[in-house]
Order: sequence, then structure tokens, then C-alpha cells
Amino acid sequence: MSSESSKKRKPKVIRSDGAPSEGKRNRSDTEQEGKYYSEEAEVDLRDPGRDYELYKYTCQELQRLMAEIQDLKSRGGKDVAVEIEDRRIQSCVHFMTLKKLNRLAHIRLKKGRDQTHEAKQKVDAYHLQLQNLLYEVMHLQKEITKCLEFKSKHEEIDLVSLEEFYKEAPPDISKAEVTMGDPHQQTLARLDWELEQRKRLAEKYRECLSNKEKILKEIEVKKEYLSSLQPRLNSIMQASLPVQEYLFMPFDQAHKQYETARHLPPPLYVLFVQATAYGQACDKTLSVAIEGSVDEAKALFKPPEDSQDDESDSDAEEEQTTKRRRPTLGVQLDDKRKEMLKRHPLSVMLDLKCKDDSVLHLTFYYLMNLNIMTVKAKVTTAAELITPISAGDLLSPDSVLSCLYPGDHGKKTPNPANQYQFDKVGILTLRDYVLDLGHPYLWVQKLGGLHFPKEQPQHTVIADHSLSASHMETTMKLLKTRVQSRLALHKQFASLEHGIVPVTSDCQYLFPAKVVSRLVKWVTIAHEDYMELHFTKDIVEAGLAEDTNLYYMALVERGTAKLQAAVVLNPGYSSIPPIFQLCLNWKGEKTNSNDDNIRAMESEVNVCYKELCGPRPSHQLLTNQLQRLCVLLDVYLETESHDDSVEGPKEFPQEKMCLRLFRGPSRMKPFKYNHPQGFFSHR
Amino acid sequence: MERAVPHAVPLGQIEVFQALQRLHMTIFSQSVSPCGKFLAAGNNYGQIAVFSLSAALSSEAKEESKKPVVTFQAHDGPVYCMVSTDRHLLSAGDGEVKAWLWAEILKKGCKELWRRQPPYRTSLEVPEINALLLVPKENSLILAGGDCQLHTMDLETGTFTRALRGHTDYIHCLALRERSPEVLSGGEDGTVRLWDLRSAQEVQTIEVYKHEECSRPHNGRWIGCLATDSDWMVCGGGPALTLWHLRSSTPTTVFPMRAPQKHVTFYQDLVLTAAGNSCRVDVFTNLGYRAFSLSF
Repeated sequence: MSSESSKKRKPKVIRSDGAPSEGKRNRSDTEQEGKYYSEEAEVDLRDPGRDYELYKYTCQELQRLMAEIQDLKSRGGKDVAVEIEDRRIQSCVHFMTLKKLNRLAHIRLKKGRDQTHEAKQKVDAYHLQLQNLLYEVMHLQKEITKCLEFKSKHEEIDLVSLEEFYKEAPPDISKAEVTMGDPHQQTLARLDWELEQRKRLAEKYRECLSNKEKILKEIEVKKEYLSSLQPRLNSIMQASLPVQEYLFMPFDQAHKQYETARHLPPPLYVLFVQATAYGQACDKTLSVAIEGSVDEAKALFKPPEDSQDDESDSDAEEEQTTKRRRPTLGVQLDDKRKEMLKRHPLSVMLDLKCKDDSVLHLTFYYLMNLNIMTVKAKVTTAAELITPISAGDLLSPDSVLSCLYPGDHGKKTPNPANQYQFDKVGILTLRDYVLDLGHPYLWVQKLGGLHFPKEQPQHTVIADHSLSASHMETTMKLLKTRVQSRLALHKQFASLEHGIVPVTSDCQYLFPAKVVSRLVKWVTIAHEDYMELHFTKDIVEAGLAEDTNLYYMALVERGTAKLQAAVVLNPGYSSIPPIFQLCLNWKGEKTNSNDDNIRAMESEVNVCYKELCGPRPSHQLLTNQLQRLCVLLDVYLETESHDDSVEGPKEFPQEKMCLRLFRGPSRMKPFKYNHPQGFFSHR
Repeated sequence: MERAVPHAVPLGQIEVFQALQRLHMTIFSQSVSPCGKFLAAGNNYGQIAVFSLSAALSSEAKEESKKPVVTFQAHDGPVYCMVSTDRHLLSAGDGEVKAWLWAEILKKGCKELWRRQPPYRTSLEVPEINALLLVPKENSLILAGGDCQLHTMDLETGTFTRALRGHTDYIHCLALRERSPEVLSGGEDGTVRLWDLRSAQEVQTIEVYKHEECSRPHNGRWIGCLATDSDWMVCGGGPALTLWHLRSSTPTTVFPMRAPQKHVTFYQDLVLTAAGNSCRVDVFTNLGYRAFSLSF
């Protein structure tokens, strides 16, 4: 349809002011004044359907007219032009109708659009309202939930339970009648009660605080009182000193010692404590004392500034006096060595009293840089001792404590870390300094609680009380036995040097009444000399001849027979027996390598020594062994079978009573003495 | 100036005592087990030690293989002689003979199977038994020692059947002359006596020291060792080691040895002999010619 196809907008035809804008169609409004032509109003009146019909009719007419014009034009003729003109005018009219219809259509369209637009706007407005309301609803809902979720602070307070509340609260607060029914009131009441209680407690707290203040003040006062007491007590103690001495209770002395003990280095302290404890508990003959300068000990720990001041002063002085002289390298090294081997100024002295009034004085030192302890020993006897020549080493401070425990010779430092320190200052071994510093025996370290395990060298070795305590008793006993056995040997040596074997009466039963062989000589020999002897090779090879042992040579004679006995005395005498090796010079030289009987004699003295120990503490072992040796020589010489080819009587007639002279495949002589029957038999 | 043998372990009382014991130990007797793998040795302290020969002689022998497999105290006195039967080890020392089972010996705490003491005349001192001799044909054991008699003991019943008297001083050694059967005994009195086992009589006495070729008075007369080959006999001790022809009782060869011999044995055609005081075992052919010496 052509009206639909032409959608171009025509400007609005009629306005309310009524100015017509169309040029072509000029329909003037003449009908009424004040009334204007509104095509829009007309649109409402006309029926669109009819207009449509009209349009179709007009189009048809136009088509007819055009067709007629066409016909006429094609036919030609004279009146054609008028008819054509007529039809043209008709068609113009139809055209105008069409135009009007077009306009109407447009107006209708526009109206329709406007109506739609309006309606849409209304709908939009409602929509907006709806949105607003929904939003408000949501908001309100949120608020409601917030309100519902609201927890009042009062719920966080732990209120007492209901039963308690009703029990405890006074009725004017609890208001049971009201609150039972109404939870809100109930909660309020409970809160009230809570508040009451809190107030009361706050009161109490304040009261307690003030009490506390008061008491603190009182304490202060009393403390002052007590501190003022101390100087008064001191003066009382001073006054009591003469009383203490009178009653032999030297508490003060002990106290002073403990005071000094506080400045001892840890190992010496351990030794001091353990030795005092042992002395008090088990052994009344042990006394402990501390020697040395306490001030020097304190000076060791002085802060560096003081000492630096001193140093700078002394340096200045030194510079002035010896300007040119610089210490040589050797002197420097020497100084370093001295520094390394420095002893702590305090030392602990132990005095062990033995039964015969002889005393062993032990002084223990602590070498600070090397962390080891050393000991110096001295034996004093009640009576003056005349030292026999051979007994020189027995009681010498150097060797009297050697090998108290097997192998503990005290010539090497027990602390493996010291080796590195020694290397720095060029000390080869501690042996050279041992005379001056004392011996670092292992038992000394143990008494001081120092333990140096061989496998793991430790950086710091701490003094351990339990180690010291566990060794104290054994060591003290060993020390006492050592001193006593040495003193016994001392006396015996004096007698031996005069050729008399001192056999005590309780050991006489071990020997026959008559012993003809005599001890002629008893001297010390050096370790090297012992090793050189030809008949001692077995002992040396068995490792029994060490440089810590003492060596002696005894000579027993009877007639032309001379028996040499080389004796190894172990420092652990008398628990470790002396070892004899024999060489007989009589009709040739007989030793254990060429005469089985000499071997048997050695066996009698070395292996069967337990019979010869005598009563405890078996100090008689050596003398009994020597006496037995004389007896054995007697038996040997007397039982020697007479050689028929040689003329003359036997040099030694048999006086000993023997059951048999020879026994066994080795044809041994009867060396075993049987008491009390008094005859000799074989083992 | 270091010592040759430094000791790492300090010697306490026990170690010193053990070292001294070892220095003064004498091994008097030994016997090989019937299986040949073990050697038992008896010493003067009365202990018997059993060594494993197979371990000690093997190519992988270590120091421990040369130590005894087991040691036990067998007798109170020294163990002077030992001999092995096919199942037992017989040891004798101070006066009694004890038997041990070879099968049990290797276990610790072995107890003796039986012990017997021959009837002695004297009660003052218990005489030692210096020699044991097995007579396989009669299944009996001959003991000889300090009481100057030879005792025969039946091994099955354990009773002492005969006591052969004749020696004037104690007997050192015994030897069996298989063909006759006769027993030879050598003693401290310097004689070698032959005894017939069936008649229990002394058949012959040879006074070795009276023969000038072999006697050495400065050593004494005692006969320490005997070995016989049925026709021949070798004996020595105080007198020199001599080879005797038994039928004629004449010394034929004197072996030139200075030291008194303690052990001698015939081996095929050779004579093996050892003295107690040297480290040598001398081997002679019986023509008096010293072939060579084995030395420790």
C-alpha cells in the first residue's frame, strides 16, 4: 500500500495557533470564527475502516481515470482534450483525497504512537514505584533481622544460675512473683543482682589492697631489725672464741676454712669437700687444711682495668730502668712456659696419720692452664729415721706414691688436651717439671673429680663430686698401706744391710729352726743393670721389669756356694710380690736355664708367695722370701747327690730331714718345708 | 733406651701372678686324641690343657688358635704322664690315675670318669706315678712311679691285679716289648729291668751304670728314658744314651750327647731323642750316626 510505504514525516499540519503550513492545499478556515479546523479531531471521528475503503475506491478511480485518459490519448480526437481535462481534474481531486487520506493515516499513526508512549511511561512509573517499594521492603527486612540478631551486652555477662539467683538474691531484687512469669523482668532482676554483687566485691578488693600495703610496711620494719642483728651476732661469736677453744670445738676455725675454701678452684674444692667429709665420717686420722694466699686467689679474678693500671705503671717503670734490653726469644719462651705451668695460689693439704705415728703429708696443687691437679708427698716419722743406703728411694717424695694404682706412674699429664698446649711452648713432657710441680697421678685427678676419657677429648672438664667420693676411701686406704709398707721395708732394709734377715716371731713357723746359709749382701741396683744381667732375661721378656720398679741384689752364701738373687720390687708391694731370679755359683754356674732345681727354687719364692705373706698387712713378705731362699739353698746343697768319681766327703752333709731326695721325671729336690713335723717334701 | 716389650696394660696383682706362673710352668706330659685332632698337655700345676692341632696347624692359624681350647684342673699335684686309649685319656700324677672321656673333655666343667689309686705300702707320703703304659692285648694299664713297683690295672674292672717289685729306687719310665710280651722299666737306681707279664716275674736286670762305655758318674745313674723295638733297646739319662741288644744285653752304640736325655723313641729305623734342657730333638739312625736335629 502506498500510504504505508511512504513513511516520511510530514510536518504537523495544524497547530493550535492555526497557521497552515502546507502550500499546496490551502483550506482556509472560514466557517467559524474562533473555531479552528482540527484534523486531529476529525481523525477520531472517522472510521479507519471506511477510510481504507475510500482509499481503495479512490485508487481504483484513479486507475480507471488514468486508463480512460490513456484510452482517450491513444484514441485521439477533438474532444479528447476536454475529456482529458475533465478526467484530469477528477484525478486531481482524487489525488487530493489521497493526500488527505495519507495525512489522516499519519495522524492516526502519530496518535497511536503517542498513546503508546504515554501508556509506557505510566508503566515505567509504576515499575519504579514497585522497585522502590521492594527496596524498602528489603531494607526493612534487613533491619528486622538485625534487630532480631541483636545481642545485648547483658548476655555476655555470666550470670549466676537461676536457682542460685532465687536463693541468694534478696526479695526486693529478685521479685519472684513478677520475674517468674516475665523473662524480661527476670533478666533485669538478675542484672540488678549482678551489679549489686560486683559493687560489694569491688569494695572488698580495695580493702584487701590497703591491708597488703600495711603488711608490706611491717615486713620492711622487721627486715631492718634483722639486719641490725648481724653485727651483734658477729660480736657474740668473737666473744665466744675463747670458750670454743676451751671446749675443743673449733667451729670458728672450720668456718674460716670454709671461707677460704670458697676461693679454691673447682677441683681443689671438690677434693677439699670430699676429704673433709670422709675425714669426719670414716677416718679420724685424716686432717684437711688449705694453704696459700687468699688475696692472690682473689686477685686472679679481679676485673681487667685494675690490673691494667698496675701493668701500665709497672711497664712505665720497667721502661725507664731497662730501656735497651729486650727479652730474648729463649727468655720469652721460658716465660710462656712458666705461664702455662702456673699453679693456683691456694693448695689443699691432707695429713694422713698412721698407726705408728708416722704422717704422710700430701699437698695438692691445681695447674690452672692445664686443668690438672698434682700432688707432692712427704713422709715424716715419729722418730728420726736413719736411712739405710739401699732404702734411698723407698720414701723419697719422688717415688713413694708411684704406681699406687697399677700403671699410674705420674710422669705424664693425664689430660690429652695438654699436648697441644705443650707443643705451643715447646714442652716435650711434664716429666721434666714433675719435681717442681708435683706428680699428676690419675688418682689425684679422680679425687678432684676430674675425669679425662681417652676416646673423646673434652673441651672443658668439670670437677665431679661423685667421682671424687667413689674413689676417696680406696685411695686413702691405699695411701696408708703404701706408707706403712714402705716404712716397714725401710726398717727391714736397715737390718738386711747388716746381713740379718729379720723374721718376726709369728712367721718363724714357716722355716726350720736351723738355717745355715746367710745373707751377705743387700744393695740396690739400677734398672739398666738389672736388664743387663744374663739370668733375668725371662722376667724382662715377660714385661715384668719396668722402670717404675725398684731393683735389688742379694747375695746368700754358704761355704763355697754363692747364690745371687736379683729382686724386682714392684711399687705395689706387698699386694704384688717381689720377683726373684737366681744364679748359683757352685761347681759351675747354675741358673734357671740349665738347672731345673734352680727353677724350682725360684718357683718356691715367686709363685708360692702367698704362704709367705704372714699376718696382714703382710709386710713380712720380702723378709720371709729371703729367709726361704736361704732355706732352699741349704736344701739344695745338702741334697746334692754325691759324685762317686770325685774323692772326698760331701761339702755339705745332709742335715735336713727329707723323705725322698728325688721325685718325678724332673728329679726335683724336696723344697717344701712341712710344719710342725719339720721335714722336707716335694710339692 | 726403650725396652723391647712395652706393655700397654698396667700389670695388676692378678696379671703379675699369672705371668709368674707361666714362667715357672713345666709341661710333663702330652697325649694326642684318638681322632688325631687334639693334643692334651699336662703341667706341673696339675692342669690339663687341650689344644686343637687342626686349628693350630691350618693355614689360617691365628694367635688364638695356638691357645688351648679348654683348660681344667685335673690333679692336685703335677700331671706326670698321660696316655690315650681309643676313647679315654688317662692322666696320672700325684698318686692316682684318672680317666677322662675324650668326647667330654672339650666341654667346660668336665669331670673325671673314674680315678684309681694303686695300693701303696707307705702312708707317709703319696708316691707319684711317673709312667703309664697301655698293654692293648690284655686291656690293662701298667703304672709305675714313686713306690718302686709296677702295678697292673685291668681297664675293664679297675682292679689292680699285680704288683711287680724289684726296683730299689723309684721308676722313671716304662716300655713295652710286644713280642714276648715283656715290660721294661728304668729307674732312679740305674737299672733297666725286664718283666714277664704272664708270669709276673722279673726276667732280667741290666745295670747300665756299671758299663763303662755309657756310664757318666757325674750325672748320676738314673735312667730317664727307655724305648724298645723288641730286639733293641735305647736308654739314657744319667748315663749316656746307648743302644742295647737285648738278647745279649750288651751295649752296642753310645750316642754322643752331653745332656742327660729325657725322652727317646724308635721311629721306623730311626731313633728320635730329646733332652729336657735344650731346644733340640736329635734324630739318629741306629748306627750311631746323628742324622740331623729338629730344633724349636
